[in-house]
Amino acid sequence: MVMRSRIQVGLMLGCGVGLWVGASAFVFSDASPAATKIDFPSQIQPILKEACYSCHGPDKQKGKLRLDSRELALLGGGSGPAIVPGNGKDSYLVRRIQGEGDEDRMPIKHDPLTAEQTALVKAWIDQGATWPDSANLAGAAIAKHWAYQKPVRPALPDVKNKGWVRNPIDAFVLARLEKENLAPSPEADRVMLIRRLSLDLIGLPPSPAEVDAFVGDPSPTAYENLVDRLLASPHYGERWGRHWLDLARYADTNGYEKDRTRSIWPYRDWVIQAFNSDMPFDEFTIEQIAGDLLPDATAAQRIATGFHRNTMINEEGGIDVEEFRYKAMVDRVQTTSTTWLGSTLQCAQCHNHKYDPISQKEYYQFYALLNNANEPEMDVPSKNIDGKRREIEAKIAMTQATLEERGRSLAATRPSESQEAWEKQVAVKAAHWTVLEPVKFSRNYGGSIAKLGDHSLLFTGDNLYRDEYKIEFKISDLRFEISDLKSRITAIRMEVLPDPAQPNGGPGRSPSGGWLVSEFLASRGLPLSLHDATADVGTGPGNAIDGKRDTHWAMPNGDGKPHEIVFQVKDMPHTADAPLAITVVQNYHQQENVGRLRISVTGDGGNVQASGLPAEIEAAVLVSRAQRSAEQQTSLRQYYLAVTPLLAAEHQKIDALRASMPAYTTTMVMQERATPRVTNIHRRGEFLNLGAEVTPAVPAVLLQRVADQPRNRLALARWLVSQDNPLTPRVVMNRTWAIYFGRGIVRTAEDFGVMGEAPSHPELLDWLATEFIRQKWSQKGMHRLIVTSATYRQSSQVSPALQQRDPSNELLARGARLRVEAEIIRDIALKAGGLLSEKVGGPSVFPPQPDDIGAESYSGHTWATSTGPARFRRGLYTFLRRTSPNPQLITFDAPTSELVCSRRNRSDTPLQALTTLNDTAFVEAAQGLARRVITEGPKDDAGRAALAFRICMARAPDADELGRIVAFHQAQLARFQKNPGVAKQVASSEAVKAPEHADLPQLAAWTTVSRALLNLDETITKE
Amino acid sequence: MNLHQTTRRQLFRDCGVGLGKIALASLLVGAEDAFAAPAIDNPLFPRPSHFAPKAKRVIYLFMAGAPSQLDLFDNKPALVKFDGQPIPAEVVKDQRYAFIEKNANLMSSRFKFSRHGQCGAELSEILPHLSEVVDDITFIKSVHTEQFNHAPAQIFMNTGSAQLGRPSMGSWVSYGLGSEATDLPGFVVLQSAKGTSGGPSNWNCGFLPTIYQGVPFHGKGSPILDLVNPPGIDARTQRESLDLIHGLDQHRLDAAGDPEISTRISAFELAYRMQTSAPELIDFGQESKATMDMYGAKPGEASFANNCLLGRRLIERGVRFVQLYHEDWDHHSDVEGSLKRSCGATDRAAAALIKDLKARGLLEDTLVVWGGEFGRTPMVENNAGLGRSKGRDHHPQAFTMWMAGGGVKHGLTLGATDDLGFHITQDPVHVHDIQATILHLLGLDHKKLTFRFQGRDFRLTDVEGEVVRKILV
Repeated sequence: MVMRSRIQVGLMLGCGVGLWVGASAFVFSDASPAATKIDFPSQIQPILKEACYSCHGPDKQKGKLRLDSRELALLGGGSGPAIVPGNGKDSYLVRRIQGEGDEDRMPIKHDPLTAEQTALVKAWIDQGATWPDSANLAGAAIAKHWAYQKPVRPALPDVKNKGWVRNPIDAFVLARLEKENLAPSPEADRVMLIRRLSLDLIGLPPSPAEVDAFVGDPSPTAYENLVDRLLASPHYGERWGRHWLDLARYADTNGYEKDRTRSIWPYRDWVIQAFNSDMPFDEFTIEQIAGDLLPDATAAQRIATGFHRNTMINEEGGIDVEEFRYKAMVDRVQTTSTTWLGSTLQCAQCHNHKYDPISQKEYYQFYALLNNANEPEMDVPSKNIDGKRREIEAKIAMTQATLEERGRSLAATRPSESQEAWEKQVAVKAAHWTVLEPVKFSRNYGGSIAKLGDHSLLFTGDNLYRDEYKIEFKISDLRFEISDLKSRITAIRMEVLPDPAQPNGGPGRSPSGGWLVSEFLASRGLPLSLHDATADVGTGPGNAIDGKRDTHWAMPNGDGKPHEIVFQVKDMPHTADAPLAITVVQNYHQQENVGRLRISVTGDGGNVQASGLPAEIEAAVLVSRAQRSAEQQTSLRQYYLAVTPLLAAEHQKIDALRASMPAYTTTMVMQERATPRVTNIHRRGEFLNLGAEVTPAVPAVLLQRVADQPRNRLALARWLVSQDNPLTPRVVMNRTWAIYFGRGIVRTAEDFGVMGEAPSHPELLDWLATEFIRQKWSQKGMHRLIVTSATYRQSSQVSPALQQRDPSNELLARGARLRVEAEIIRDIALKAGGLLSEKVGGPSVFPPQPDDIGAESYSGHTWATSTGPARFRRGLYTFLRRTSPNPQLITFDAPTSELVCSRRNRSDTPLQALTTLNDTAFVEAAQGLARRVITEGPKDDAGRAALAFRICMARAPDADELGRIVAFHQAQLARFQKNPGVAKQVASSEAVKAPEHADLPQLAAWTTVSRALLNLDETITKE
Repeated sequence: MNLHQTTRRQLFRDCGVGLGKIALASLLVGAEDAFAAPAIDNPLFPRPSHFAPKAKRVIYLFMAGAPSQLDLFDNKPALVKFDGQPIPAEVVKDQRYAFIEKNANLMSSRFKFSRHGQCGAELSEILPHLSEVVDDITFIKSVHTEQFNHAPAQIFMNTGSAQLGRPSMGSWVSYGLGSEATDLPGFVVLQSAKGTSGGPSNWNCGFLPTIYQGVPFHGKGSPILDLVNPPGIDARTQRESLDLIHGLDQHRLDAAGDPEISTRISAFELAYRMQTSAPELIDFGQESKATMDMYGAKPGEASFANNCLLGRRLIERGVRFVQLYHEDWDHHSDVEGSLKRSCGATDRAAAALIKDLKARGLLEDTLVVWGGEFGRTPMVENNAGLGRSKGRDHHPQAFTMWMAGGGVKHGLTLGATDDLGFHITQDPVHVHDIQATILHLLGLDHKKLTFRFQGRDFRLTDVEGEVVRKILV
């Protein structure tokens, strides 16, 4: 065979949808069209669908012709009947697709039909143009599309070769093979089977010892035992969880320009755990879609709602936050629809679905089901952190306990710093404030506002740029000196208060708890004139009353403590009972809103300023010592002890302890809102173009029965996994099948609709779907079933004849041979090199990657390469920065997590070759493997070569393979022996140092051997 | 056994409407011949266009951040007259802005404009080099977009959708036409200044096969990631390693029969060739001093000038689509000073690229495109809080792009805006129209270049787009 000097790239499995070209290839392999009865749904309709429906279907009827309905097709279009049953030759349809006469050959917009297809259509008409009801797509008939019918458990088909059948899967597969006159392949040998099973179930290759044990296992249930062992491995959750994360579009950053890091890895851990504990798929669904809505939701159930928090967040300056929430919602609809329904619901975002019976209104009704959540972060409970915090708190308490006594003794020596002196000092700055109770409050957009018991307002939920808070207070309700106060409010104070609901504890809602106030406006019927603003922190308090919306009182970071700004009031107008109205304008191009605030007023004269004291302390200081309540006395004493310079040393100690307090890990969750959001249709899918309001609902075509319950996410979740949902079990089983066999039973895993492909083994799919439910949605149960089938256990070696006959293995006459996923390619190399950390779960890590990856992103984030075991963790733990994804993963078709991914491409490119040849992780793996070969292997070269080979590929090399490797090793060794300096470069690196006194030329030579073996097709392929 | 034939079949089948469609479709004259072509299983194998192309390749200078059309191309004397006055509300209507208020004051350009060349195109004094080549250029002063934030607008310009996950223009083009480069990727991305707001989504292949993804090349060091062998692996060891890999893969192919293995063998061979050809590509040693000076290129620098020269060298080697990003045009403050910097870094090299391509006879079938993701406001952006003054905010209603070479008219100016440069008054050109036109010049019908994904035929221009016929030769 001559090598071609052009790029050659492999099969992009799953890159397209249309299948009929290949399908018809074998239909025709042994029968002429006219000889057998032609089946319209499987043979003719796919051709019409592909070639004709775009112009003569539900959407357009060019020439008034419509070919998706029997009646309309027979009726014909502007040129008369298109089909004359029994007479293909004279049917207008046939004449046009053959390009007869002077008219353009049909289809104009697609490739001409092949001669075979044309003959098939003609023969079908000749045979009478039989068109069963089930394939009559137009109108109401479309609702009868197979995927919208609840699967019925089919009877097992009769097969001749009954001895081959290990479980029902095999009966369906074999029935089809026998129909095609094909025989299954022999069972793979045990070495191939254990490697296949290990890669499929845990995503790691078996060690030579595991291979030996399995090959030598005399037990009649050796295979089943192996399956059980692998299903019980904690790595099972990593392997299968990663596929789920493709659907969840998991990433560690927010995406878009800023692409800030987020913490949502607890959700990833949740997924891994859920798989490992074989959580039934219905529960698994409900917790992810609506865990927060379950009664007494546990922390784990709330963490699960991270599924829909994996949407991207745009934090670019000057955006409309709500616009990007809309985009995230659109993504959630698509993700839900693809993941559970295999439906292209998203096509109805801008207009009614062109093929499936889903209206635009129904799209937004579905959207409305998901549209009522706030999107907070939650602390992940941790006993470990609880304990550490308790420990530190105890130490703080111990130090605090000494404050009283120590303070007293020190004050005795320095009376100028006694509490009494301090009180006098601060009382000068204090004013008599009255906290006002808000009676009306609103903001620009419908985030939540809660009035708390202390009369503060807490702002949560939507966090827009440029929000305005409007608050009203009824001053006549004040408890004291009402008549007087009305005429003499001399100052207004706004406290900005911490709250655990805000980032960093607040008081603000910027990612670091910062806030700003552009303008602070007050009125009582007439605007009040404010002057002399003072604040205890932040820049430019005066900016809040300078009439300019682009200058601010601002504090970029919060500290979880209360702060205040005070405005003096000039000439309070006498406007009787007019309420006091406050507007807090926050006009910024990023989220910097105040998270919690409280308004107070005072009638004190003089120069009222921000005191820098918490409100209750400021109040207490002004009460004469004799009249203070016990509570006031205590809090004043405590505050004094906490701030007096006398105790600076103790304060330092306490501060240091506080700083050492470990924070809880946070994760992003959904939290249902109390007041529902209104959902409207967005005309043409445009954010600003609102149409009619809609109520939450699922599409009618899928809705068999609706339970009487609130229409919210929980209802949606329950419906997704209800017994009446025809799609979910089929869609999930189909995806699982595709991971094992390289293609789904429905090849278009993301589209089970009218435009999707028909299933290759419809009865098998329905059997799997019903069996899934019968097994109480146990995924492990279904895995066990699939991998113990004879179908799965076939050898993947393929004869030229079979390859020719069924290139994509649709008929399953052999085992699947598939390049493994991006993450597993890394895992295989690291495991071979003896480097792999087998730790399960935890935060993402930063394995080595080329320096300029982060630098070339807009955000310019740096990549702090992990050291120690964290450098060598499984691929699924690699930190995923959306704008500069890890190149090794992306090059091998890992998704970029912008959208739901239900099947990955499987490409084969030169950049991949460069990665496995030269990327640091693979170079280090080769060095590690060389070390293993020398320390674990025998002394002779052939023995070492065989070990290296088995570590990579499980099987032993044959003589030819061994010969090539040994010869290569000899040649390299000779060269390195001449040049030990180079040998060291090859054999040793910072992370994988050569052992002391190592024979460097040997180590280097085995490193080059290892590098070659790690680059073999077989090493990165499941056979 | 003819493995290539089998691979072909499989490729066509598996890619269904993807490649299979492209190859089978009337897109390809003589589909039967295409079947017989020896390397049709190479997705980057050059494919005929829908109709005769005017341009065979594209160099797209993406001025990320959005340059101010009002200070570079679209001269508005009225702004001088009304400088400092608020823009009338009826002009602004309901347009949203990223930073400024709707009633912001107008600001005139601080640069002088004059006419150049035979065509008399009007240009700002800050583009002295471009003014020398105006007779080779078509200016479009009436481009408009739907997005007014950087990341979505850049992605919209590149993929025809602000929703993520769609294929970029370069990916569509290499999917449609393949590439003539034998040992380089078909779609190459070069970056200067800083990373782009849109990030890799700007050159993502979306749902198209990964081979059509834009490959970022690096201006200094190794141009392609992982191109360089590990320390100590010399050319001989590398060749012998590849021979061992090849031999063992071939051996397995004989046993397992999976044609995928032969594809991997080829991929490794190409990888090896890239290792030799890519360093030669970035070695400017063979370029004359005059050429280096004309571009302002300096060996070893990651500059726009170097990237322009590299762009020429890439297309000379058959690369289909080269995209250069210069992300330094987001001038919210001090438009005057900022433009001096950005034009200083780009004007000479962009003009040199036109001159150089022309001198080498490449301009006639190479399309050069210049433009950002939106325009900038005629209103001033002053923001004490942000320390901004005399800047301009984002403006999606009207901006200027230019194209040169491969089938576009020489010395034409299309479109116009109102006296304030706010709205388009003549020949509006939507982003989808730009995309349709670029595809058209390459001989591709934007309505036929489709890919079936999730039950729908997707295309670069979504459901819109008209070819801008007025600029075609």
